[in-house]
Amino acid sequence: MITSIIPLPIAIPLMVAAFISLAGNWIGRRACDLLASATAAVNVWITCSILHGVWSQPQVYWFGNWWPRAGGVVLGICFVIDTFAGMLAVLVCVLTLAGLIFSWKIFEDTENHFQPLMLIFMAAMCGFSYTGDLFNLFVFFELMSVSAFALCGLKTLEPAPLQGAFNFAIVNTVGAFMIVGGIGLLYARTGALNFAQVGRSLGTHADALVLLAFLLIAVGYMVKAAIVPFHFWLADAHAVAPSPVCVLFSGVMVELGIYAVARIYWTIFAGALGVHTHGLQSIFTSMAAITAVIGALMCFAEHHLKRLLAFSTIAHSGLMLAGVGLLTPGALAGFLIYVLSHGVIKGGLFLCAGIVLHRFQRIGEDHLHGCGRGMWFTAALFILGAWGLAGAPPFGTLFGEDLISHGAKGTHYSWLIFIFLFAEVLTSAAVLRITFRIFFGWGEPAPSDKSSRIEERAETEQSHERVPAVMFIPAAALIVLGITITAFPQIRSAVKDGAHQFTSQSAYASAVLENVQITLVRSSEHEEVSSSIIRSVIALLLSFLLALGTVFREQFGRALNFTRSLELGNAKLRRAHSGHPGDYVAWLSFGTAVVGGSLFLLLH
Amino acid sequence: MILAYLPYAIAAWIFLWGLYGIVTSKNLVHQVVCLAILQTSTYVLLLAIGYKVGGTAPVFADIPVGTVVVDPLVQALMLTDIVVEATVMALLLSMVVKANELAGTVDPEELRFLMG
Repeated sequence: MITSIIPLPIAIPLMVAAFISLAGNWIGRRACDLLASATAAVNVWITCSILHGVWSQPQVYWFGNWWPRAGGVVLGICFVIDTFAGMLAVLVCVLTLAGLIFSWKIFEDTENHFQPLMLIFMAAMCGFSYTGDLFNLFVFFELMSVSAFALCGLKTLEPAPLQGAFNFAIVNTVGAFMIVGGIGLLYARTGALNFAQVGRSLGTHADALVLLAFLLIAVGYMVKAAIVPFHFWLADAHAVAPSPVCVLFSGVMVELGIYAVARIYWTIFAGALGVHTHGLQSIFTSMAAITAVIGALMCFAEHHLKRLLAFSTIAHSGLMLAGVGLLTPGALAGFLIYVLSHGVIKGGLFLCAGIVLHRFQRIGEDHLHGCGRGMWFTAALFILGAWGLAGAPPFGTLFGEDLISHGAKGTHYSWLIFIFLFAEVLTSAAVLRITFRIFFGWGEPAPSDKSSRIEERAETEQSHERVPAVMFIPAAALIVLGITITAFPQIRSAVKDGAHQFTSQSAYASAVLENVQITLVRSSEHEEVSSSIIRSVIALLLSFLLALGTVFREQFGRALNFTRSLELGNAKLRRAHSGHPGDYVAWLSFGTAVVGGSLFLLLH
Repeated sequence: MILAYLPYAIAAWIFLWGLYGIVTSKNLVHQVVCLAILQTSTYVLLLAIGYKVGGTAPVFADIPVGTVVVDPLVQALMLTDIVVEATVMALLLSMVVKANELAGTVDPEELRFLMG
């Protein structure tokens, strides 16, 4: 690979975005669509060839050739690309491509900035995965946040999207300022901004300032990762954002927040906080468990299709945080595999929700009861998606879950297996339940609640008799991608080796600062998925039973009454999702105080 | 000695008041301005980090070698911070204008279409 192609995945989309903004009216809607999709396709190709180039060892790219001279300080800004960064960038570009192709048939009436914003969003997320510099990470974070806020509030002809985008923007911006504060403190201590150099300068000394910096940065990125209690914005933003945008939000943006926490920990704080591994593990895993449980309960209680999927993302985000929070290379590899397969599956499900909206102009489960009879292909995609969310073979989520629970086995955190089971059963059963009701028309209509009545102006002008191929093919392709990842064992072994590199702070630092080639540690763990297969088949069976029990509970009388209370949800929990940005920021402050307090208690 | 920590305390103080304002605000414009106030805490923090007693401006064209200067890097960070957040504020305020047009209110209590 020629290293000079490394900045292209960021540069090309930004230039095309500028061109489309300038010349969009002149070249017409179709040409904009084609140009934007072609750019995303080119980006898929470039990020794939970059990934191919870093398959065996990471590459460091210094902008303007400002590499650190021997013994000197780092003045330049660099991209450090390893398998983790490379794979995440590929995921970003694939999801953007699917979203852009899906969008050909929507927004027919409006003159909008959809394509340029999507391209900027893609460029920012690629840069976010690649960068090796703290402040650069913040700049890409803000670039992706601002384009995300604008994309979320794109349908400005009604108030609900504005509320969703406003809540999203306020909560995430408070998180961003916490990150700036944390970066400032780290710079004050070390005088550096490069991950490798900050990590090396911090050494193994941890005091209150280092802890405070870690708290601010980690919480700031956890806001993006929608970890409870920082998650409130996510459901509001997903409920109103256009479906192809939800694909990027749920499929990769949220996951990048967790990735940033992992990257910051392993390159900067691993040495300083290394002696406190147990304390950190317990903090991270308890946050992960709370997130998974609350997300799953809320997911099953929702009847607005996109909001339901949004809470499912929160639940799975908790499971992914468990992969990072166990602080072992094996669990970290599980995290990446889970992110890749969950990203495409959830992306496919959001596109399916977009198909339903396109077809019927409605998105509430109660209004849609029985509407989808005869849409067998879309129904099949929903069922396959639910299958993937349950972590059942042949989907890649199985391998991710297996690696994470393998990492938890034999530690104090082996109970995480039950959290996985709980979250997977509920989120998968929720998707099956809507499939049974909407596409098969089984049972009674769903109970109606406030969230199912959220008015959503459809993305297309009138309801359509059939589903266009440009909508169906991206959705089907994404779900199928969730399966193919398991067909290539070399992806899994590369991820496992990559996780060993990722977690070696000294190897990372010498690769960046002294250009020392990292020798690959071949991971010795053999694959032992048979126990996980049994567990995931049980999860799948339970979720089918739960979904059927919920749909047909009238026929079975009182024995299945618990499904009603599960479906209506806990009133207090639902009221906490109040839609008021002030409440969300109050929860954010409370969560920061609790996490900060436990950090100081456990680590001092 | 205490004075050296004063700017950091002020930064924390502004941050907390900004949070308080956002949480209790009854008006979306007011809420956005509170976010802007919260942001100024990062300016104070960055300035405090880069400040050197007796330092001059870091313009190296006409000062003798060895002159004490304040840290130019934090100023660059702050500039980026300002640019980035100006965008966010503009976007947020434009959303407030739109919300007022469509819903006829700027009270976050009344602008609750999504909840539960």
